[in-house]
Amino acid sequence: MKRLPIAVWLIVPGAAALVFLMGGPVAVLTIDSLRPYIPGSIRAGEGYTFANYLELAKPAYFNYAYETFRIGLIVSAFSVAMGAPLAYVAVRSKRAAVRKGLLTLLVGLLVMSLIARLYAIEMTWGTHGPLAFIGAFVSGLAPRSPRYAEVLVAIGLMHFTIPIVALMLVGAFRALSPRLEEAAASLGATRSEAILTVVLPLAAPAMVSAYLVSLAMCISNFVAPLLLGRGVVVFTTNLMYTRFSDIGNYQAGAAIGVFMLIASFAVVYGLATIAKKLLPSVVPTR
Amino acid sequence: MTVSMNRRSLLAAMSAAAATSAGPVFGQARGEQILVVMWGAQWIEVCRPIGEEWLRATGDRVQWELHAGGAMGIVGRMRPQFPRIQQNLVAAWDPVFDAMIEADWLEPVSETEMPALKEIPEIFFKKDKQGRKVTVPLSTAGAFWGYRTDLLDKPLENIEQLLEPRFKGKLCVPVPVNLSGLLMVSLAIQRGGNERNIEPGWQFLKELAQRGNIGRVVANNSEMINAMSQGDLSVAFWNTGGWQAVSQRFPTRLLTRLNDNKGFLFNEGFVVMKGDNPAKIAAAKRFANHFATAEINTRYNMPLGSGPTNVNSKPADAIKDIFYNAEELAKYAYIPDYSYMSSQVDAWTRRWETEITPLVRQG
Repeated sequence: MKRLPIAVWLIVPGAAALVFLMGGPVAVLTIDSLRPYIPGSIRAGEGYTFANYLELAKPAYFNYAYETFRIGLIVSAFSVAMGAPLAYVAVRSKRAAVRKGLLTLLVGLLVMSLIARLYAIEMTWGTHGPLAFIGAFVSGLAPRSPRYAEVLVAIGLMHFTIPIVALMLVGAFRALSPRLEEAAASLGATRSEAILTVVLPLAAPAMVSAYLVSLAMCISNFVAPLLLGRGVVVFTTNLMYTRFSDIGNYQAGAAIGVFMLIASFAVVYGLATIAKKLLPSVVPTR
Repeated sequence: MTVSMNRRSLLAAMSAAAATSAGPVFGQARGEQILVVMWGAQWIEVCRPIGEEWLRATGDRVQWELHAGGAMGIVGRMRPQFPRIQQNLVAAWDPVFDAMIEADWLEPVSETEMPALKEIPEIFFKKDKQGRKVTVPLSTAGAFWGYRTDLLDKPLENIEQLLEPRFKGKLCVPVPVNLSGLLMVSLAIQRGGNERNIEPGWQFLKELAQRGNIGRVVANNSEMINAMSQGDLSVAFWNTGGWQAVSQRFPTRLLTRLNDNKGFLFNEGFVVMKGDNPAKIAAAKRFANHFATAEINTRYNMPLGSGPTNVNSKPADAIKDIFYNAEELAKYAYIPDYSYMSSQVDAWTRRWETEITPLVRQG
């Protein structure tokens, strides 16, 4: 009897977990999304329908998806732009205290209570917050205007994404030998030139990965728009929550979930493809 | 010999005395643990001490779960689990009761098991398809327009005035799932409609949103209380509980007697959930009965700004202005068809998402 290679045995637990933890719920979600909803009733109707998906073809729902991705894309760009320097300093700083302090800060941000963070943002950057004027200046929106909620949601999302992005990039920068920068310097490059022409191109694949992880975190986030969105910045996750939790319309909630899953895969795949084309020399290809 | 008595021991003794005098089922202490769903904010604040005293008096332990958003949400969360649900007692209101009755989730209640129910007028109870009582009415509450008098230069006397530029960004309104769409019904009534002729309400709402007068959309009591406490919003449509909390901090006026609009009344209370553990069902009934007694019913409603349902309870002085006499009831109050409204919440929510939120967002 032929014995299975060890690689197969090693992959079995993870594959099984994926099938049962993700595949199972997604399958149930997909089936439920095709069932009709009976208004006022807690039970699903008989038979199958595409009505729950057709509803999503309305321009307003397209806009919710668009706004979710738009805010996610912007926040992820800011997160990489701010997280990369933090990660670089946390790796390359000559002072151990700076390196340890930054890493502690990044990990500390992750373990801090989520709800406390978001309410602190509301208190600090909200209508009467001491930093509201900065948000208003940068965004050009009055803090009491409904659209200012976008600023609050973006700040809330960056609280999640910047530490994650920075910690991901710490590993990438550590993997780059400092001798590459020294070599660039020996050839006459300034510090900033060495970073821009040597470090960043080499770290680009990791930055693309961090960007995509950040994007995935943003578009699947639910709490930040719920608590900071003032009821007007509504992500597709909030639409799902309303249907599942408030109305009991599981079928429509499931349809949004399936649609977002497909849309997210498409956007992430598309962005990864674009990144490969833009950075052909550094993004590994098979 | 001296007897030391502090406030807690006195309350515990009173609870115990009430428990043993109210009836055989009510007095039985079994040491059961029950899961009770309650609203947050001042609802849970008044309930927690009552639950702790109940534990000391009877041995029944109460674990609290809070409604996330509107009470209708619990229906959606329990649906996939029913009948294997953990919740034994749920605080809710008329539209939620209707949805649960339709699904046949509720345990019948009777005066035999729960003697305090004898002191609650028959009209307050909801009944199942077999005609059995299935709710434990605790409060008569309302939803009204109101405003902070310290933030308005001249009073608001008519809902049409909300279209004026002075209210730009000043209105705090609930999402349709909250209060089951009473906001739209109120606006519809203003333009000659009602819950079954809701279109005028949507048109009014669109006008408010287009003019940028809706400053905040809230989904629960805490959000409403926080929003109205910050000072940038002056007018809201919300329930008496939220208004009671706001009025304790700021001068407010509730528009309970408008000539061309109505105040909305509804009942809140407990329902005992069906389940496969008779001991927990009995414990839930004991605890619900405790809340229905005159003393606890008074204590429960006092900070909520709600009217007690037990005929022997005492309403708070602060709510006298909110509730109507018989003549006023016909003139100023409206009790809509909550069953119909709960069947429309899904459609109204979609309409809100597609037509109103985009306008509000533009500011």
